[in-house]
Amino acid sequence: MEAAFFTRSTMVKMKNSSRVAGVAVIKSNTGPTEGFSPHTSCPNQNTGVYTEHYGPELANCNNTVWNPLGNGLSYEDFAFPIFSLKDDNQTQVIRKCYEDHNMRMNGSAPQYPLCAMQLFSHMHAVTDTVTCMRRTDLQNSFSINPEKLCDPLSDFNVWTSIRPLNNSIKGHKENESVVIAAARLDGRSFFWDIAPSAEGTVSSIVTLLAAAQALYPVALEAPPQRNIFFTFFQGEAFDYIGSSRMVYDMENSKFVIDLDNVHSLLEIGQIGLRNGQSLWMHSDPVSRKNTTVNKQVTLFIKSVASSLNLSLNEPSATQALPPSSFQRFLRVRPVPGLVLADHQASFTNRYYESLYDTATYLNVTYPSDLSPEQQLEYETEAAKSLTQVATLVARSIYKQAGGEDRFLNNITADTKTVTLFFSGFNIFVLKMCTNMCAPSSSAESSPPQYYIGLRLDNTVKSVTRFVQFILANMTGTVTKLNQSQCQNPKDVPGESKDLYSYSWVSGPVSVNGTTDPYCVRSSVHLSKALSPAFELTDYGSREYSTWTESRWKTIRARIFLVASPQLEMMTLGVGVAVLLVSLVVTYFISSKAELLFSATREPPNTTY
Amino acid sequence: MNLERIPNEEKLSLCRKYYLGGFAFLPFLWLVNVVWFFKEAFVKPAYTEQPQIKTYVKRSALGLLLWVAVLTTWISIFQHFRAQWGEVADYISFTIPLGTP
Repeated sequence: MEAAFFTRSTMVKMKNSSRVAGVAVIKSNTGPTEGFSPHTSCPNQNTGVYTEHYGPELANCNNTVWNPLGNGLSYEDFAFPIFSLKDDNQTQVIRKCYEDHNMRMNGSAPQYPLCAMQLFSHMHAVTDTVTCMRRTDLQNSFSINPEKLCDPLSDFNVWTSIRPLNNSIKGHKENESVVIAAARLDGRSFFWDIAPSAEGTVSSIVTLLAAAQALYPVALEAPPQRNIFFTFFQGEAFDYIGSSRMVYDMENSKFVIDLDNVHSLLEIGQIGLRNGQSLWMHSDPVSRKNTTVNKQVTLFIKSVASSLNLSLNEPSATQALPPSSFQRFLRVRPVPGLVLADHQASFTNRYYESLYDTATYLNVTYPSDLSPEQQLEYETEAAKSLTQVATLVARSIYKQAGGEDRFLNNITADTKTVTLFFSGFNIFVLKMCTNMCAPSSSAESSPPQYYIGLRLDNTVKSVTRFVQFILANMTGTVTKLNQSQCQNPKDVPGESKDLYSYSWVSGPVSVNGTTDPYCVRSSVHLSKALSPAFELTDYGSREYSTWTESRWKTIRARIFLVASPQLEMMTLGVGVAVLLVSLVVTYFISSKAELLFSATREPPNTTY
Repeated sequence: MNLERIPNEEKLSLCRKYYLGGFAFLPFLWLVNVVWFFKEAFVKPAYTEQPQIKTYVKRSALGLLLWVAVLTTWISIFQHFRAQWGEVADYISFTIPLGTP
């Protein structure tokens, strides 16, 4: 069906009908004007901070419905395959097949042969995570050739610190007080592996990267009192996989710092649709009932507001915190923190976690006479807006970490960098890869998708790698180590594998195609983002995310013409008749063989 | 093996072996007993060992019917309720089909 029909009412009707065997939706570039969000209206309501024990009047979105356009389609159970098709030549073939054979002519039903489509998408897992993980475990213990049914969603969080910390010693670090700047790294939509997530995710990634770039030189020159962490959490769309894992690791001394080391947290929520209006600072009213926390949060708000001449507002004092990674920190400890967003109450994003949340939605338009390379560098309004927020974030973090006011004006985000990142993360990452990629990854020419996916053999998702290497490039230093030393810097004096991570980068490609690789030392690390429920093997956990993805057999589809049942029966009938006739004929011939073949035989040796 | 060519005592001992073997949870031996010795027990003209062979065949048939009843009941119940039994059913299953509850 065409994209316009892809609404909740149509899909629910199809789900309840017994005559639908599959659906193929033809994608369109822009969504319906009234908005479309297949996510729930209250995202992550069971794994956030508001429960019956903590802020019951704010739990389950009693106070504010964050995603009012959410129709919950992504959370429905469909018994048939649903495919999405790009609107190109092959889709035109499908349309033509329908028009030629299946359309009603003059009010009468279409005649055979009819056009049919067969969708193959056999999934191994059923019922729920508990069942499929139990069956996978049974297969692993008792079968010679184990058949996996499902795998937990996992990837890696990216984090870096301004002052490097000894990564081999986990747990509480003495005299270390850390301000965390956080953003999310993932998105989703109704369809598998489609998640352009421009407003939901890309704007916050780009802003935080630009803020890190703006802050680093000043922080190195005039180090602030506290340490600063930049973290990108993966898997937040699926009940906060990355942030719940990091908090769990912090609680159990498996992370480089501990929750006692965390001073405050600033999170960048959805900020792409600001359009020159004010930015909103959300905080948690329940933790602010405590006077110490309230004082700290108020101070934080003041330092953010005074960093830059940007219109900032606070929503009403009793409003809940929007769904954000910060909620997982609050579940464990009343950390003072803020979430920056472009919405006061409900999201301004009309396509939250849907396939229509693309760069076009953010009004990223270029004058038509630009080539793709020029488009990468054209400074759009959206990019300029994000640059302002990046400067704000960098300055407020610096101030919150105890940096001195006189250095604040040196911290400014660069619009050119923001533009480059924005185009790269939204539209294509081709150009970026030539400069700062790991040697083994390949350049992609389609927009990057932000669905978390699985890590079957511990590889890292390409977007996570991009963020990791971009951060390393911006905040690290080039060293003179050669390749073997870079991979194992234990014996090189002055280098420490505990404090830093070393990557061998291929460098920019010169005119004659050669590269000049070098070793980059940075304090950018990856931390595993796998839900603690799988570490604890509590597959039915209510505390942590238990999302898994099923394994499948080959996914394909085909169209063909189907003959009428009468023709098929006739073919079968003719075949059976031929069989019977041949049996009868053979019987007769064999019983009368002497009569039929009794012609005089010539002796074999009559050739003389 | 052609039963025509064996002396009657050996027929009796063969029938007994199959009858006794079926008690080791091998109902197919009883099925074989019934099918193979049916003609010998009920159709052929009487001979000395025939009454005993007849008893063995009758008892094998009885045991076979019992097994068929028990297995049919258990298989129907299991196939119908496997999905609802959840964990217990998974632990007593040898192969679990993929993609269905």
